[in-house]
Amino acid sequence: MRNSFLRILILALVIALLGILSIYSSTYQKQGVWQDIYLRQLLWLVIGLACFFMFSNFNYRKLWDANYFIYGAALFFLFLVFALGIIRLGAQRWLRFAWFNFQPSEFAKLAIIIFLARYFSRKSVNDTSLLSGKFGIFQGIILPFIFVAVPMLLIIEQPDLGSGLMLMLVFICLLYLTNVRLRYIFTLLTLLILPLPLLWNLLHDYQKQRLLVFLNPNIDPLGAGYTIIQSKIAIGSGGFFGRGWLAGTQSQLYFLPESHTDFIFATFSEQWGFLGSCLLILMYYLIIRQGLIIAQRTQDNFGRLLAYGISLLLALQVFINIAMNMGLAPVVGLPLPLMSYGGSSILATFIALGILTNIDRTRNVF
Amino acid sequence: MERKSIFNFIIILVFAVLLIGLLNLDILQGAKFRRLSDSNSIRLISQSGARGNILDRNGEVIVDSKISYDVMILPEDLSQVDYVLNRISRILGTQTAQLKAAFKKNFVSSSVPVTVASNIDLKKAILLGEFRAEEPTIIVTPKPLRHYPYGALAAHVVGYVNQIDRWRLTKLEDYGYKTKDIVGFGGLEEKYDYYLRQEEGGLCVEVNHRGKFMRVLGFQAPSNGKDIQLTLDLKIQKIVEDSMDGKKGSAILMDPQSGQIIALASYPNFNPAVFVNNRTNLISGLLNNPDAPLINRAISSSYPLASVFKVVVASAALELKKINTSTSFLCQGSTMVGARKFSCWDTHGAQDIFGAIAHSCDIFFYKSGLFVGAQNIHDYALKLGLGRNVGFELPYETSGFIPSPLWRKLNKFQNWFAGDTANLAIGQGDCLVTPLQATNMMAAFANGGFLTSPYIVKAVGGVDLSAKKKKLIPVNFKKSTFNTVISGLRKVVTDATGTGSDLSSLAVTVAGKTGTAQVSRNATHAWFVGFFPFDKPKFVICIFLENGGPGHAASVVAKQIIEAMNNQGLI
Repeated sequence: MRNSFLRILILALVIALLGILSIYSSTYQKQGVWQDIYLRQLLWLVIGLACFFMFSNFNYRKLWDANYFIYGAALFFLFLVFALGIIRLGAQRWLRFAWFNFQPSEFAKLAIIIFLARYFSRKSVNDTSLLSGKFGIFQGIILPFIFVAVPMLLIIEQPDLGSGLMLMLVFICLLYLTNVRLRYIFTLLTLLILPLPLLWNLLHDYQKQRLLVFLNPNIDPLGAGYTIIQSKIAIGSGGFFGRGWLAGTQSQLYFLPESHTDFIFATFSEQWGFLGSCLLILMYYLIIRQGLIIAQRTQDNFGRLLAYGISLLLALQVFINIAMNMGLAPVVGLPLPLMSYGGSSILATFIALGILTNIDRTRNVF
Repeated sequence: MERKSIFNFIIILVFAVLLIGLLNLDILQGAKFRRLSDSNSIRLISQSGARGNILDRNGEVIVDSKISYDVMILPEDLSQVDYVLNRISRILGTQTAQLKAAFKKNFVSSSVPVTVASNIDLKKAILLGEFRAEEPTIIVTPKPLRHYPYGALAAHVVGYVNQIDRWRLTKLEDYGYKTKDIVGFGGLEEKYDYYLRQEEGGLCVEVNHRGKFMRVLGFQAPSNGKDIQLTLDLKIQKIVEDSMDGKKGSAILMDPQSGQIIALASYPNFNPAVFVNNRTNLISGLLNNPDAPLINRAISSSYPLASVFKVVVASAALELKKINTSTSFLCQGSTMVGARKFSCWDTHGAQDIFGAIAHSCDIFFYKSGLFVGAQNIHDYALKLGLGRNVGFELPYETSGFIPSPLWRKLNKFQNWFAGDTANLAIGQGDCLVTPLQATNMMAAFANGGFLTSPYIVKAVGGVDLSAKKKKLIPVNFKKSTFNTVISGLRKVVTDATGTGSDLSSLAVTVAGKTGTAQVSRNATHAWFVGFFPFDKPKFVICIFLENGGPGHAASVVAKQIIEAMNNQGLI
């Protein structure tokens, strides 16, 4: 039991420290504000660890009670971003605080997972069986969809298509893991997929371009395709053993944009090569597997779904981010959890991991 | 629990996809991406060394290199290019349009520096160097350029340099030659290009995404080409060229004992510097000039040897015992050969061999030639080095041609007549000889029986080659034959009525033979081939004037040269 706590802590810490090394390496040749960016990340890591310990000792059942408040707060901050968020890199995702920028969408993902976990683990008053098995199409699909869709649309509007679509994926996966009938899930899927051609026209130009470029990066090698090409070059040039610590030219000499945030995997891979990247991916897998094991051995339905949701959130972000680094997925603004520079992402991830360990710790109480 | 396991399986699958993607990028395509990464960030800035110098026999510089500066820009950002070119044009004082044209012409890719102006002087180079602080895309590199301190002097020996052409590139690609390389054309620059050629060195630097310099990764010093020392004597070469100036033809001075070329000139000549500066209109002027100034007349064109050929006939007749020193023929101004009348240029009366050479009596040689026979004349001409390649070091040597009955039969299916023999005996008809062959032939008489192998490169890169190059091939004639002919040659000068009697007034004793070649339409070609000092020959001299009039004209030039050499104490 304590086992899982230690494993998750050590793995997360190692990954986060590797992230700081990569951030340092990608910025140490750059001038100005870049110089101390790794120190800020270190600070976020310390705060993140504090949150991790806090949430691992905070009974997750209390989240059940606070559920509506959490959901409401997430919506509130998303509205706030919509109203007066600051614009960076062409997107309105951040709220300006005293000395840092706060990205509510990172926390909103977690809030939605908590909300869904609670929604699907409600029990019938009569026989304490799960309600979700008896849900009709309205209660099983449409109602939760609306609850997910409101924050999702706010996130997509930022615009952050990646996070938005990821939420939808998390929703569908969670549906799959509850007792909701497969029939309903497929109905939802068809309903979501059918209007996609129509939604094409609603996309921003740069989003359309990213999707087109994903299919063929060479249509615009200096524009939208540039990042994919440079990222692939960075990863590929690492070879088996990598170019060595601080010897990655792609990430250090500005060839790779966003080398310390969304494309930090490429930065890491350039320096540590196939070997290092495999180990990194393995570590991510081990964390996620730990999450799945916790989910499977948790009796409490709320805890189980929450553990699944958190593992899923991590797994999807890791997969989409690394796949987009390797040119296997379109470029969307998703960070790599634990590694990418960004306080909100680090905090949200550590809080999620803290909740995960608490689920494992608390499960026997019932 | 069905759904759970499927879900676990999907997660494993998803991570497997990531590993496969990684495998594909790192291992399968790793080398390609490594290369792409390097080409992103690594730039080579080449620095060329200097081409080897060309020195005369005493180590005086004939051709060397001087530093000039090239302005290049790194066209990383095309929108910036116009602005940068504008600034450069203001500093250089040249038209922006000209720089733009150069940029367009030389542009390869955005990562390779483009030369926009070359040959700028030091002051402007320094000004631009200071401007670099503002515009780091400007690169000023020193480039050694061919420099000709004496202008056109020895131009045909040296040749010129220019950008490699397609034909040479396809031939030389395997030896490391690249497009836009500067290579030699004609003369030693071409023949010894491999030795003269500098090796490019350069800086290997790392740049960032804007092409801004980050650090030096490596440096390889360029190395200069090897110096080539010639057997030419700069002072004598100058004398020879001064005397030949304004004429058409060639002049050669050679050491008969070793075969070293002391001076070699061909006129009209050209200034090789026009190719360095790429002065297009001057170059096309050279190429279109009907007098073909780029042709080295000393080796690349052949002419009838005329009366000088009589030396060959005399040797053959003496060797074959058709005549001896007491044989004499009566010259009455003309003689009948077959049904045709062959005339002499004068009426000489009774002529023995000495007198016949001295007066260049045609009648004597018609008759001895007929005794000897055409095939024998041909064979002896070849023995004396005519009608075949000398094997000289300068490129584009022609072999000349000595006709023979056998050749005519085999190739033209025509018969050879006695008249043809008579014509050949006085070096007319199809007989064609290069001035260098004539010089080589005369050397055999000067050194008493050895055919030399003329050479002009004494040392390459400080290694003396003269021992290897000196090849004397004995011409197995009787001693008496040589002595007789040499006495005749001396009489050409000493005899008061000899054709070269002008030269008798010199302080140096000269022997030689004049020649006047009939040409179908134009004025005759003038020859003088001889050697001096007579007792201990140190120089063979050959003056050939294309359409220069009678042989006398050539002997006058020879006289000028020998006189000037004597005055300067060079003999």
